[in-house]
Amino acid sequence: MNSRSLPGKIGLVLFLILAIFPIAFSIGYAAFYSLGLTGLLSDGFTWEHWSNVFSRREVWGSLLLSAYISAFTVLLTVGAALYISIRLRSHLSKGTLSYAIYLPLAIPATVAAFLVFQLLSGAGFLSRIFMTLGLIDSINQFPDLINDAAGFGIIAAHTGLAVPFFTILFYEIYTSEKIDALSQLAHTLGAESRSVLYRVTLPILIKKSMMNISLLFIIVMGSYEIPLLLGRQAPQMISVLTMRKYEMFDISEKPEAFIAALLYTGIVLVLLTLVFRRSGAKHAI
Amino acid sequence: MPSSPENTFLKSSFLAVVVLFCIGPFVYLIGLSFVTSWPYPSILPESYSVDLWARMLTGSGALVSSFFLSLLISLIVAATSTSAGFMTGKYIAYHKHKSLLLFLAYVPYIMSPVILGTCLMYLYIKGNLTGSTVGVILAQTMFAYGFSIVFFSAFWNHRIRALEDLVYTLGGSVVHAYKTVLLPISKNALLICFFQTFLISWFQYGLTLLIGSGKVQTLPIKVYEYVGEANIYYAALASCLLVLPPALLLWANKRFVFKTV
Amino acid sequence: MFLSVRELKKSFGKDEVLKQLSVDVEAQSTLSILGKSGCGKTTFLKILAGLESQDHGSIELNGIEISQRPPQKRGVVYLYQEPLLFPHLNAFDNIAFGLRIQKVDADAIEDRVASLLKSLGLSQHALKMPDQLSGGQKQRVAFGRAIIVNPLLLLLDEPFASLDVETRATMQHLFKDISNQFGITSIFVTHDLKEALLMGDKIAYMQQGHITTYSSKQAFINDPKVGVLKEISFWSNLVQSTSNPE
Repeated sequence: MNSRSLPGKIGLVLFLILAIFPIAFSIGYAAFYSLGLTGLLSDGFTWEHWSNVFSRREVWGSLLLSAYISAFTVLLTVGAALYISIRLRSHLSKGTLSYAIYLPLAIPATVAAFLVFQLLSGAGFLSRIFMTLGLIDSINQFPDLINDAAGFGIIAAHTGLAVPFFTILFYEIYTSEKIDALSQLAHTLGAESRSVLYRVTLPILIKKSMMNISLLFIIVMGSYEIPLLLGRQAPQMISVLTMRKYEMFDISEKPEAFIAALLYTGIVLVLLTLVFRRSGAKHAI
Repeated sequence: MPSSPENTFLKSSFLAVVVLFCIGPFVYLIGLSFVTSWPYPSILPESYSVDLWARMLTGSGALVSSFFLSLLISLIVAATSTSAGFMTGKYIAYHKHKSLLLFLAYVPYIMSPVILGTCLMYLYIKGNLTGSTVGVILAQTMFAYGFSIVFFSAFWNHRIRALEDLVYTLGGSVVHAYKTVLLPISKNALLICFFQTFLISWFQYGLTLLIGSGKVQTLPIKVYEYVGEANIYYAALASCLLVLPPALLLWANKRFVFKTV
Repeated sequence: MFLSVRELKKSFGKDEVLKQLSVDVEAQSTLSILGKSGCGKTTFLKILAGLESQDHGSIELNGIEISQRPPQKRGVVYLYQEPLLFPHLNAFDNIAFGLRIQKVDADAIEDRVASLLKSLGLSQHALKMPDQLSGGQKQRVAFGRAIIVNPLLLLLDEPFASLDVETRATMQHLFKDISNQFGITSIFVTHDLKEALLMGDKIAYMQQGHITTYSSKQAFINDPKVGVLKEISFWSNLVQSTSNPE
């Protein structure tokens, strides 16, 4: 039976080289760098970089901003996608929308950021409409919707990208879990439309997509392209901050880039562990 | 329950808004790529021209080479990560510690490519891979491979294992099992995974910028470069090249997105 | 003895599934094994087919020790409970599968498959895909695919469990006829008492990793643990109570 398991063994070797080794190396290297054990400025073991990070608000602010953006994106995405998938269910099975809803999946974060910039910036499309309608008199009166403190532009871009995917996902679950039949059953048992929605439809849709919803949170937290164009200089989302600190001419900032990376990795691993515990390692996608 | 006329009108309007939201970006990008002047605050552009497209289609300008470089990188990344994930997924799906291995496979799939890339820069620098196409392919493959493993560890199941066993008891070898049964029944899954990993690579920006040091000029890098230069008409053209091919494929075949094995 | 299994042991972790299991099967006969679910039937069959490996024990088939051989070198075909057909091949190609692996001449394949399809009553369904066939038809295709390669030993793991009563009876007869016609040696596992009695030339009972083979059907019927006596008393009591109402 040895030859039979050969493809699996090749799979294992690839897994070790391409997945396990890079992750282990990154964590180890970042830890060494952050403790002054390697790198251009290394003078041996020190807690200095860590205490610098702990005493200043930059990295913490960045992590908080990232978590805030993710939480809002998840909330808006799930809300909008649930509404569309339930309200327009019949149109998702056939007709224009059944095709159109797939199209935004062909839009990458780079282009989404560009589009939101085009739509929401001071000289953007929305501002032009406001001006034409006489709602504002000058470009300065248009509110800051990008590079703003609330991260409006970033959340809009992420939500715009995620809603079509989740709409399709909810629709697929709706069909595969036979929610129509279950709803009818609930009606025959005496439930009103409202209680069918809250006791049957929504619980099934959310429970079945919990893994995807959790992954959306994690993925948005580490996003780069969108906050790079639509975010503020400070605080920055964690990927943007890490990359900036790493690429700075002042190489004394580098250890802090690795500390930010380590903190982010730690959070991702904790979240992923929670997701796996809850869902019993069921598959997403 | 019969719906009232107002209700029907609201629903139709809502449908129109959602369809517009899906199609609007494409119309806007295509339109913008023909614009030559659009002063504020006009709602509509002032002048149009086919110059940018003509220049691009006749093969002059940097966009064409970026398009083909992106295509080459993405095809290699998709082929490598799909075939590797097909095998690793099988190993994980049938492993007694499936849950732990799957957890580890999820890490490169969900981690920020830029952050993981930063921590791996040392290796790329030592391996003389920064600023090179090979380096970019390697880095992107790592992430696409994570997706591919997760995808295929859900694909391999007891039924497929039983079909494979059947080939062996009927006298077939491993080669037979793959050639006559496993590959033919995996065709759909392989195609979907290839498409998805192709997109992961085709869309990748941050990691390409980091590992490619800006020298490997793929299409997303070009889009950002033009946006940075406030050259929005070029940015729109580059965006069109980036989004139209996958959008057309998705329109032609929705099955690329969800698994229907 | 054509098949001789000695002291087979298998554990999964702490769970001892097979405990010193020994059994013999004569050539061109069917041994039916009765057992409740979880008694280790499937593990036993998979070990015989080479799809699982035993921890201890030997398997001799036609005078040759086969327990270290890979499944493709054993000549043992395993028939699943659900009719597992290759979904991308039609009925004809499913049956022809094993012959094509053996690189049998195409004309010979055509003839042999066509004649088997006829014996199985499937001639008009040859070009149908698996999803166009009924449960009974699928199981017949799976059965044909197994016997056409002339296996030394055929293993049937509750093959008719998912069929309705009528189809099941038809399949039982068909199996008996074709088994005799082709001189097949087989092990037929079932949890159905009647089926065990009907299908086997000899009968065995499997419980907690052990197998007891009975010298005759009478000996099987007389053993209280297999449940035939209980069944008989149930029916006779019922007959009595309905024919002598108070």
